[in-house]
Amino acid sequence: MRHAPQWHRILAVLITGTAVMLPLAIIVYQSLLDAPFFQPSAKLSLSAFRFVLTDGDFHRAFATTAILATGMTAVAVPLGAILAFLLVRTDLPGRNWLEPVVLIPIFLSPVVIAFGYVVAAGPVGFFTLWAKQVVGSAPWNIYTLLSLTLIAGFTHIPYVFLYTSSALRALGADVEEAASIAGAGAARIALTVSLPMVRPAILYSAVLVFFLGFEIFGLALVLGDPGGLLVLSTYLYKLTNRLGVPSYQLMAVVAVIIIAIAFPLVYLQRRLMGIASRFVTVAGKGFAQRPLRLGRLRWIAFGGVLFWLAATVLLPLSGVFLRAFVSAWGEGVRLTEVLTLENFRELSDYPNLVRGITNTLGIAVIGGALAVAWYAIVGLATHRWQSPWAKVMDYLVMVPRGMPGLIAGLAFLWVFLFVKPLSPLRSTLFSVWLAYSVVWLAYGMRLISSALLQIQPELEEAAAIIGAPGARVTRDVTVPLIRFGLLGSWLLVFMIFVREYSTGVYLLGPGTEVIGSLIVSLWGTGAIDIVAALSVVNVLLVAAGLAVALRLGVRLHG
Amino acid sequence: MRQTCLFAALLPILLITIAASPDPKAPATSAQIVAGAEKEGKLVVYSTTDSASAAPLLKDFGAAYPKIALEYNDMNSTEVYNRFVSEAAAGSGSADLLWSSAMDLQIKLANDGYAQEYQTPEAAHVPSWALWKNEAFGTTFEPIAFVYNKRLLKAEEVPQSHADLIKLLKANPDRFKGKVTSYDPERSGIGFLLITQDARTDPAFAETEKTYGKVGVKLYTSTGAMMERISSGEHLIGFNMIGSYAIAKMRKDPALGIAYPKDYMLVMSRVAIIPKAAKHVNAAKVFLDYLLSVRGQEIMGNRAALFSIRPDVQGETTAASLTKQMGSSLKPIPVSPALLVYLDQSKRLEFLKQWQEALGTK
Repeated sequence: MRHAPQWHRILAVLITGTAVMLPLAIIVYQSLLDAPFFQPSAKLSLSAFRFVLTDGDFHRAFATTAILATGMTAVAVPLGAILAFLLVRTDLPGRNWLEPVVLIPIFLSPVVIAFGYVVAAGPVGFFTLWAKQVVGSAPWNIYTLLSLTLIAGFTHIPYVFLYTSSALRALGADVEEAASIAGAGAARIALTVSLPMVRPAILYSAVLVFFLGFEIFGLALVLGDPGGLLVLSTYLYKLTNRLGVPSYQLMAVVAVIIIAIAFPLVYLQRRLMGIASRFVTVAGKGFAQRPLRLGRLRWIAFGGVLFWLAATVLLPLSGVFLRAFVSAWGEGVRLTEVLTLENFRELSDYPNLVRGITNTLGIAVIGGALAVAWYAIVGLATHRWQSPWAKVMDYLVMVPRGMPGLIAGLAFLWVFLFVKPLSPLRSTLFSVWLAYSVVWLAYGMRLISSALLQIQPELEEAAAIIGAPGARVTRDVTVPLIRFGLLGSWLLVFMIFVREYSTGVYLLGPGTEVIGSLIVSLWGTGAIDIVAALSVVNVLLVAAGLAVALRLGVRLHG
Repeated sequence: MRQTCLFAALLPILLITIAASPDPKAPATSAQIVAGAEKEGKLVVYSTTDSASAAPLLKDFGAAYPKIALEYNDMNSTEVYNRFVSEAAAGSGSADLLWSSAMDLQIKLANDGYAQEYQTPEAAHVPSWALWKNEAFGTTFEPIAFVYNKRLLKAEEVPQSHADLIKLLKANPDRFKGKVTSYDPERSGIGFLLITQDARTDPAFAETEKTYGKVGVKLYTSTGAMMERISSGEHLIGFNMIGSYAIAKMRKDPALGIAYPKDYMLVMSRVAIIPKAAKHVNAAKVFLDYLLSVRGQEIMGNRAALFSIRPDVQGETTAASLTKQMGSSLKPIPVSPALLVYLDQSKRLEFLKQWQEALGTK
């Protein structure tokens, strides 16, 4: 099927490409200089690459990060895929309430999650102290690379779950039923039929999670520092400080190296998907799906899911909630003596608190909607489009997420300072929105495309055959069909935007504070009790929003 | 009714009287500059002092100068520097005043020609080490101290000097293994500044470093992470901690104690500069004078826990009270180009290399 004029598609790709390439171009250019690019004395030079590549700390940080990213992908991908199968395809108890709960780790700030782990299970955390009383010594240490990898893996399961579950929903149940009739059990069906058929979605989430592993920051800062673990994003701190003044060229080199990893990864993913697509048939959902019976496995699986929830959501959240309601904690503290509501009272006095919360919700709700609109336009433009342009998009969307937050923030500041036509927009919320939307392109685009893939091509082809022009097909057939998918994506982008902050750090100012920036400035001076109280408010707000949205009929999947 | 009328009639006279007899605590800014500032009507500040700590100060400034709308941006010291330098290079709007705890970066900006001169009428009341060329102005007097866990460290164990601390660690190497904390000089600018000052001041610094290495000192980038861990007992004691933050936190947290080392105590100062390209120059001058005035300093010394620098201001957190307690052991870090020494790349890298070797991490 070919639509005659392609210009609107090319335009969508070009605009998105520009938005991605501008910050990227500045970073690449900066990496090839010997001074800040805006200094007249800056000359072309490979000295920054030489410095970073011969720096022992870089090698150490790179190796640790590679282990971390690989390990967390190895943890998150299989478990996330199994979780998706269990919730979508089987008669697992509590499927309905589990789904929104599973998504909680997505909207929590990683710094806060990590801190929750410290309060709950750190060397003097309350669970650790209990365990010490029982067994005599601390049975675990959360500051090792292994713990960090496990925690990172566990908290990234929701991403894999999201993409895999929506692909599974789009899959016809007929093959699974055939396998079931032939006598295969649920586990066998999952491993040999269902999950292989949604391989593209799993692969995509694997690449995304691996990439998120490279820019992981909050978890590594809080859980890695005590054990002296250095990852690439905390190594950037060294580059900021080691030469006395921030050395942008050195930081840019690190970003360029991470981005360079993206290309072979996306290439590999495209290759594997190309092979996979020969096997995959996306059939309509014309008949009711019957959940597969798990039999004996039912309660074991339920127990496994509950264990994961306890370790990933309950454990850190209990730490954060506890911290919010006490004045002190740790070794030698009787919790009953330190309970207090003072932290919340103090939080309510905090200047700009209400504005911070309103701004966060505003950027997340309205900005999220606009981002989904943008992603949808690009998604529709490249939908079923066999063209090199579509291929370019596959690479482009992944790249921005490779920039660690510390650098992405600077890059977007520079875009709005030095790209003159854009500079009047710098102090408006548009700049913040653009930065957020570009950085989360890879996450959002996939939400849209999985909604789009659920539509059978026949429906669009039918409209085209009776003479509808391409735009009309999009307007009257495709968009109405994915409207629930779009609503669900809005909710998911909302959750990401609620906690995003680092990309906008240089664009936010008085009047545009967000919860993330409040948390960081409170954290800096040691007001961690207030951070905890603010995080509790944050969790309750998002949970309420989520509940209302689901109540109103927004579904997480189209 | 009649009384109100009478009052209304007398009010202008009353106001004139107040204006004619100047309040000795008010900033001595010239009337011309104040008028100019009110005409500008706006002031943009980039600061490392978070809005909550600065709130009493900002509120009072607003009350004193209601016609100047203050736009206060709080961020970390690297962000202040990055944002200002980038904005200056792009020639677009930036801050009218930078107020940062990164003393060395502030001096660097002044030394690189970004700052403008201003003869503040308050200069005579500020110690001379805190002023440089009428371009960089130290505004606070913040002690650099030990912070410890009161539950787990006995009162008689609390070190009273750097030598005491080293003695304590050496006597109980197992108990303090992994229990001592400080800023990471490699990743934190303030951490680097303080440890280089230690190297200069502490006669036994080589030994000190080695001992930190032996107990496996835990290094962080933020005050919050360290104080929370001291309070919980994960760590027992921290050195080179910024006293103003510790005291603010101690007011709420009974587990934390602070000890001022008596052999020598470093004192840091938040440095203000007015950029040459400031759009609201007069407003910036008014704010600077306010920060240094008795009125502003009294708030720093009593309500904001930022430690006033003026010797003539009395209160709980003031240079005056610290001087009374500590006398000549106070070692303020001068606001001067001496701070630039370690911005020289090779000197800095060399110091860090030597530090890592002493700690045994390399």
